[in-house]
Amino acid sequence: MSTPVLELTDVTKRYGDFTAVNKINISIPQGSVYGFLGPNGAGKTTTIRMILDILRPDEGQIQVLGATSAMSVRDRIGYLPEEKGLYKKMKVWAIIAYFATLKGMGRREAKDKAFALLAKYGLSDFANASVESLSKGMGQKVQVLSSIAHEPELVILDEPFSGLDPVNQEVLEQLIRDLSANGQTVIFSTHVMQHAERLCERLLLITQGSKVFDGTVDEARAIIPRRIVLETRDDISPIRCLNGVLSVQEHAVDDESRLPGTRQWELYVKEQTDPQLILQHCFESGVSLSRFDFTQASLHDVFVHLVGQDAREHNFR
Amino acid sequence: MMCLSIWSDRTHGNTISDESFLMRVTLLIAWREYMENVKTKGFWIGVLLVPIVFFLIFHVSSRLATATPTRYYLLIDQSGEYAAAVETAIRREHQRRVMLDFMRYLQENRVDVDAASIRAEPAAQLNQLLDNFDNDEVAALDEWLASGGLDYALTMAQPYLRDDAPEFTEPRPQFVAAPLPPGVNPDADAQTVVGQLRPYLNGERRIDVAGDQVSLFALILIPADVDQDIVRPATIQGLMAPDSGPRGVQYWAGNLTDTRLSGAIQNSINSAIRQQEYASQGIDIAAVRNVQRTRLPLSRLDPGKAAGEEAVSLADTFRQWAPMGFVYLIFISLMQSVQYLLSNTIEEKSNRIIEVLLASVTPGELMMGKLLGIGITGITTILAWIGSFFVFIRLYQTVETAMIVQILDVLLSSDLIPYFIFYYLCCYALYAGIFLAIGSLCNTLKEAQSLMMPLMAVLVVPILTMSFIAQDPNGTLARVMSWIPLFTPFTMMNRAAAQPPMFDIVGTTVVLVISTAAVLWLSGRVFRQGILRSGQPPRIIELWRMLRRSAS
Repeated sequence: MSTPVLELTDVTKRYGDFTAVNKINISIPQGSVYGFLGPNGAGKTTTIRMILDILRPDEGQIQVLGATSAMSVRDRIGYLPEEKGLYKKMKVWAIIAYFATLKGMGRREAKDKAFALLAKYGLSDFANASVESLSKGMGQKVQVLSSIAHEPELVILDEPFSGLDPVNQEVLEQLIRDLSANGQTVIFSTHVMQHAERLCERLLLITQGSKVFDGTVDEARAIIPRRIVLETRDDISPIRCLNGVLSVQEHAVDDESRLPGTRQWELYVKEQTDPQLILQHCFESGVSLSRFDFTQASLHDVFVHLVGQDAREHNFR
Repeated sequence: MMCLSIWSDRTHGNTISDESFLMRVTLLIAWREYMENVKTKGFWIGVLLVPIVFFLIFHVSSRLATATPTRYYLLIDQSGEYAAAVETAIRREHQRRVMLDFMRYLQENRVDVDAASIRAEPAAQLNQLLDNFDNDEVAALDEWLASGGLDYALTMAQPYLRDDAPEFTEPRPQFVAAPLPPGVNPDADAQTVVGQLRPYLNGERRIDVAGDQVSLFALILIPADVDQDIVRPATIQGLMAPDSGPRGVQYWAGNLTDTRLSGAIQNSINSAIRQQEYASQGIDIAAVRNVQRTRLPLSRLDPGKAAGEEAVSLADTFRQWAPMGFVYLIFISLMQSVQYLLSNTIEEKSNRIIEVLLASVTPGELMMGKLLGIGITGITTILAWIGSFFVFIRLYQTVETAMIVQILDVLLSSDLIPYFIFYYLCCYALYAGIFLAIGSLCNTLKEAQSLMMPLMAVLVVPILTMSFIAQDPNGTLARVMSWIPLFTPFTMMNRAAAQPPMFDIVGTTVVLVISTAAVLWLSGRVFRQGILRSGQPPRIIELWRMLRRSAS
C-alpha cells in the first residue's frame, strides 16, 4: 500500500481547559473519499484547521502529502471552509482563477480552468456576474469550484452540502465522485448521513473531540445489530429463543387498519443471521405475519447510537 | 522582509521553500487588492477630487469675481466740499480694476509669456508700465490715468499681443451713483435724511434707476458741519471718553463685508482733507506728493545661499512653506489608505474568506500583500493628483499657473522630494501596520472605529502643530515631536526645508525605521492571532496573551 495522503498521530488541541480535539489518529489512503462525521461542536472544523496548518496542534503529529506542514504543500491541497464567503465585488470567473493562482497556477491557465469548470457544472451564464448577485447556493457552488480549480491531490470540504438544494447536492456528490475517479483524495465533513453513506469509503466519527469510530461504512453499520420488525397476533415465543436473535422489544401498533390484537415486535439479530431463516421459522411454527421488515442499520442509526447521548447533552449544556 | 521571516518557520521540511513562490503569492495578493481598490467608487472620487477642486478654484472663482453685481450708492454731501473727491475716488477705484484686469490680460496674451524676459528689457514703454505696476501700484495708477487710461494702453500694447489674443473686455463699474428717491430732502438734518432712506437701505423699498428697480447698497452722508469732526492729533484725548467720538462721514450700508467702497471713500476724503491742511499751513502739495512717493526697498536675503544669489525669491518663500503641503499630502493619502486597509481586512474577516486564504497563504504573506497593494493604491492616487495638476497648468496658462510652473521647477530640483518619498513610505508602513492589526481584531467597521479613535487623535496632532513647526522648524516643539516615532514622518517632513541638524535627521530616522520594523513585527503577530478570531475585539490583557501565545 502506498504511503497515506494524510496521517494524524495523537493530535490534540486545547483551548485553555477545554480539549477541542483529543488524541485523534487517522490514516487516509490516496484516492479515497473519507467522511468526517460528528455532532455540532465535536471538533471536526478544529481538526480540519489543524490539518491545514491554520491552527497548530498542542500535541501529536500531522503528515500531509508527505510534509509535516500543509503550508509547504499548500498548492496540492484544496479547501472549502465551513463558513462560506467570497469577495462580493469580484466576478465569478475571476475569483475561481484568483484562488487557483494563489495555489501556484498560471494566470492564463487558471482563467481557462475557471471557465471550463463553470461550463461543466452549469454556471457558464454567471461567469461574468459579480459574486454578490449570486444566490447563496450558487455562491457555494462557486466556492467549491474555486477550491478544486488547481486540481489538488487532497480536497478538504467542510460541510459542503449545507445550504444546497437536493438537485445541487446531487451535482456536488457527482463532483466528489469525479474527483475520486481522478485519483484525488477527498475528505468532507457533514451531519447528513445519507451523503456519507453514498459517497464514503471510510469514515471517522468524532464526538467531544474524541474518535469513536474509524472504518468503512459496512464496518460502521455492523456496529448496530441487524433489525427485523414483525407484526402478528400470534405468540412469538418460538422465534424468541432462536439462535441468532439477540433481543426482542415490543412496540405499540397505532395503525387502525390492523386487526385488533396485532402486536409489533422488533428483533435484533446477529450480523451473520440470515433473515430468510427467521421468516422460514415463522411459517414452520405457525406464526402468521401481517408484516415482516428486514432493515440494515443505516449510518443515521449508527450515528445516533454512537453519539446520540453526547450530542443531546451537548445541546443542552 | 521582516514579516516573511516571522512565518518562515511554517515552511520547514517542505516542497515550497523558495522565496520566489512566497514573493509570487504576496504579489498576487497585492495585485488583487490593488485592482479591487481601483474599481471602487471611493478611489475615483479621491482621484478626481483634486482636479475638480483646481478647476473650481481657478475657473469658477474668477467667474464669481467678475460676476459681482453692480452696487448702487447714494452720496449726499451737505457740506458741499467732498462730493467731488468721493466721486473721483470711486472713478479711480474703477480705473484701478480696469488697470489690474488689463495688466493680467497683458501678461497672459503677450507674445512672450515668460515673466523673466519681461524684466530683462525694461526699456520698452510697455515693460515700464508693468514694472511700475509691480513696484508701486499707486504710481502706476497715476501714470495710467495721466497717459489716457485704457485707450492709450490698448494702443500701446497692440503690437506686443499674440495674434490669437482675445479682445480685452473692460470690467463693468462696480459702484454706480443712484438718483435721490423722490420725496427725500437732501438738505434736511442728517437724522431725517437717514430716517427717510432707511427703507431703501433695508431693502424694503427700491430705487428707480433708468427704469430698473435696484436696491440701494450704501448711503454716504456728509453732514454740513462735518469739518468740526476732523480729528487732529491734539484732540485725541477727546476720543478716550466713551460715546463722544465724532461721527464724521456717515457710511450707511447693510452689507458689512464688502469694505471696498467705504475704504475708497475714507482714503479719498482724508486725502482731500490733508491737501487742505497742507494748503492752510502753506506747504507745497506737489512736494508732499513726491515725498510720499519716495521709498526704499527692502531685500529679503537668505544667509544659506551662495554669494550673489542671496535674494529671497517667491520660489524660496514657497520652498519654505512647501513642506506643509507635503505633510498634508502624506496625511490625506494615509487617511485614504487606512480606509482601504480596514474595510478590506474586515470584509475578509466578516465574509470568512480569510479561512480559504489562510489555507493558501501565510498570514505574513497576506499582510505583506495587503500592505503592498494598498500602498500602491495610495501612490497611484498621489501620482494621479500630480499628473492632473501638470495637465491643469498646461491647459490653463495664466499668470498664476506660470508662477506655479516656476515654483515647481524649484521644488522638483530641491531635496524635498527625496524627503517626501522616504517619510511617505515610513509613515505608511508604520500606520498601516497598526491599522491592519486593528482590522484583524474587528469583525465590523463599527468595532474598528472605536479602536481607531485614539489613533485618530494622535494623527490630528501633526496637523494641528503643522504651522507652528513651519514657523519655528528647529524649535523645542519641532525637535521633541521629531523624536516621537508616530510623529516623526510628519514633523521631519515639516522641518525638511529648514536644514534641521544632522543629529536630528539621522537619529530620528534610525528611531523611525526601528519602530516601523517593530510595529510591523508586532502587528504581524496580532494579525496572525486576530485574523481567525470571531466575536468582540479583545481587551488589552487578552491582546497581551495573544501576543505571548503567538510568540510561543
